[in-house]
Amino acid sequence: MWKSVAWDAINEGKAMKVTRRDLLVWGAGAAAGLLATPVPWKVLDDVSIWSQNWPWIPQPTRGPVEVKQSFCTLCPKACGLRVRMANGWAVGVAGSSTHPISRGALCPLAFAAHQLNWHPQRLRNVRHGSSLSTWAEAQSAFAKASKEGPVVVIDGYSGRAASSVLETFAGKQGGSYRVVATPELRAFTPYEQWTGIPAASLGYDFENARTIVSFGAPLLDGWGTPGRLTRLWAESGAGLSDPQLRLIQIDSSLSRTAARAWQWIEIREGSESALASGLAGALLEQNLVPAHSPVPSMTLAESSAQAGLSVERIRELARLVVAKTPALVVARDDDPAIAALNVLLGSLGNRGGIVPHSEGVKPYVAAESAIGNARAVLIDASVPWEFVPQVEAEIFRFAAWDGGATKADWLLPAPGFLEDLTDLPTAPGCSAQTYGVAPALVKATIEVQSAAQFLCSLDASLPTTAKIIDSRCEDLFRRREGNLYGQQIAAIDKVSSVQSFKEQLWKGAVWAGEASLSKAFACHLKEWPAQTRPVSAETWATQWKPVVMPPLASKLYQESGLREPPRRNA
Amino acid sequence: MSARYGMVIDVDRCTGCGACMMACAAENNVPALPQATARTGLTPLLVRKVSNGNNGETRREAFIPIMCMHCEHDTPCVKVCPQQAVEVDEATGIVMQMAQRCLGCRYCMTACPYHARYFNWWDPAWPPGMEKSLNPGVAVRMRGVVEKCNLCHARLHSAKEKAAVAGKREIDPADYVPACVEACSTNAIHFGDLGDANDPVSKEAHSPQAFRLLARLGTEPKLYYKSNEAWVRALAEPNSPQASEVQRG
Repeated sequence: MWKSVAWDAINEGKAMKVTRRDLLVWGAGAAAGLLATPVPWKVLDDVSIWSQNWPWIPQPTRGPVEVKQSFCTLCPKACGLRVRMANGWAVGVAGSSTHPISRGALCPLAFAAHQLNWHPQRLRNVRHGSSLSTWAEAQSAFAKASKEGPVVVIDGYSGRAASSVLETFAGKQGGSYRVVATPELRAFTPYEQWTGIPAASLGYDFENARTIVSFGAPLLDGWGTPGRLTRLWAESGAGLSDPQLRLIQIDSSLSRTAARAWQWIEIREGSESALASGLAGALLEQNLVPAHSPVPSMTLAESSAQAGLSVERIRELARLVVAKTPALVVARDDDPAIAALNVLLGSLGNRGGIVPHSEGVKPYVAAESAIGNARAVLIDASVPWEFVPQVEAEIFRFAAWDGGATKADWLLPAPGFLEDLTDLPTAPGCSAQTYGVAPALVKATIEVQSAAQFLCSLDASLPTTAKIIDSRCEDLFRRREGNLYGQQIAAIDKVSSVQSFKEQLWKGAVWAGEASLSKAFACHLKEWPAQTRPVSAETWATQWKPVVMPPLASKLYQESGLREPPRRNA
Repeated sequence: MSARYGMVIDVDRCTGCGACMMACAAENNVPALPQATARTGLTPLLVRKVSNGNNGETRREAFIPIMCMHCEHDTPCVKVCPQQAVEVDEATGIVMQMAQRCLGCRYCMTACPYHARYFNWWDPAWPPGMEKSLNPGVAVRMRGVVEKCNLCHARLHSAKEKAAVAGKREIDPADYVPACVEACSTNAIHFGDLGDANDPVSKEAHSPQAFRLLARLGTEPKLYYKSNEAWVRALAEPNSPQASEVQRG
């Protein structure tokens, strides 16, 4: 029928007309038909593949990959690193299992530390006030200031070769050298006052302790050299009802350490000092420690009221502390009442207690103490960003990253991660002396200078960092003590020459001395220390706050709720 | 080569530090984008916080790393994929995700009982210059596809290459260790061949303290967990009272 109608229409001379309706029908049919073919799926698939190859998609650098041993230089914990390098750039970071202290472990931030050198907040230019300046202008301004009056030099990582340059300069110039100590180092200050042994030469002998009582110190969350205690805790029966190492965490909140500790003792925030006095009273009352110790002025009842624990609970805690010895008390900061508990327990200079690891270490002057008159203040890049000197002076601040508003007249770009040669002295809290050298593994893409280089360029008589490291290596070799941890562990007397020793250190090996467990030192308290300021509650960033976080850290606090977001710098 | 790679995670040892998450992201060139949130971010390994539900001093918390469980039997994501972009590698037991085949339909995300799959919403981006710090052994993550843990497959490739160069057919187990295992500061994550009865990981997987999440589904996950604490083991099944306390970490 349709055939005849069409034929008739043609025969009648009428042209076949395509209507709008025909077009719609054809379009709908084509669309439906296309869905039955692989074309749309293939197109979608191809778009997906093409989108990986757009020119704006970043691609990894190419080149032969090699692995180098080094150390993390972000903070003074000095963890051992294995750095994967490609084409001269660091492309991956992992812990070095041969390091005797960090034992292959790192804090979460270290795994993305190699990305920090390209952080958007990288300080790329010399800044004077709110305008850009040059290195020459900065040098001339500093030279002028140092001629006009004393210069205070502030360091955040004492004991390095660079620290020696800073200290020598301050000494020559008639200024002073100050240190912003980590909480781990500050916690030893009371012992320094009582015994005269410098805080920087003391450490905790965790390896031989059987009970660790932590007053708010985040022992399992980045405290000290992260791998040291976490590995020890894990290997000593974590999760067992009676582990070989009992970790008692005294904390006002269920912190990460409290959550995984053998026991968590919940107290009121800021009552650590009061509880320490109460605990001392309970130890003496129950004759759990020698009776000749000074008695705290605070009664057990007063301590109980302040800490929010019953008197019987404090007595029970005292019994728990001495149930498995040696017992060691770790303070979050420099609270003398908490430190005095170690004196009471006889932990000073004994196995499983607080032991000296080095000789010849000088006591440091805290940067927080009154600075007095100063014409200028020079702040090393290792000083935490939030530290602001309270002094009317011209401030020259070195920093690799700009952490936001700060009081500094001059901001000077410092080398970033693994961009500078540095040595690594013993980390705070270690019971054995260690020494390592981290050479500059990657080249800086901007013009940078460390504070030590800056001073050496002004005063040619100052020894360079490289020279000091060289002489330190020679001194260590001459001592013929300890072991060298590289590809293999070798006693230092098996190392053939000082040259070989130096070469191995420069390739990332670490020298470690023996823990001085037998060097007992006397400490007698005349009276129980007075209660000091309350310590703040634990947060994940209070131990060490980097100026900026690696972008990948957002996986921990933005793309998951595992961690609290970092506090913004004011 | 024939192996059944899997893990045993000792929950009692996990401190929830997040080093495994960072190492995983750095190893696999996973970008950190400012616009990403807990719903839209890319975390092939996610550490979740769980608790026993108590208050005060008796409250206990633990951290459970969650990633692809590499299900051996009736693998849910494999069954629903219209593109055959997911498959269980016969030689290794690894559930592989082929980004080039993936359409981004996200059926697999719906099917995965562990919520261990993530959709990549954006093109990868890093601040200028930071691409020099990327791992050259792994491609950057494609937009519009589903992502998940592949047990650092690039490291397995490297181990195979190394073995081939040495003229060996089998890889040295020390050469193939996923980034999260290497990064764990408490050695809580143990990796090995579950098919080898002599492998320490295989032995650990059969210990009385070992358990698997949602084992009743019968998908035979190759990720085992282990804990001495009964309340942690009880979390393995979602109907337990403690499970209601599970918080997204």
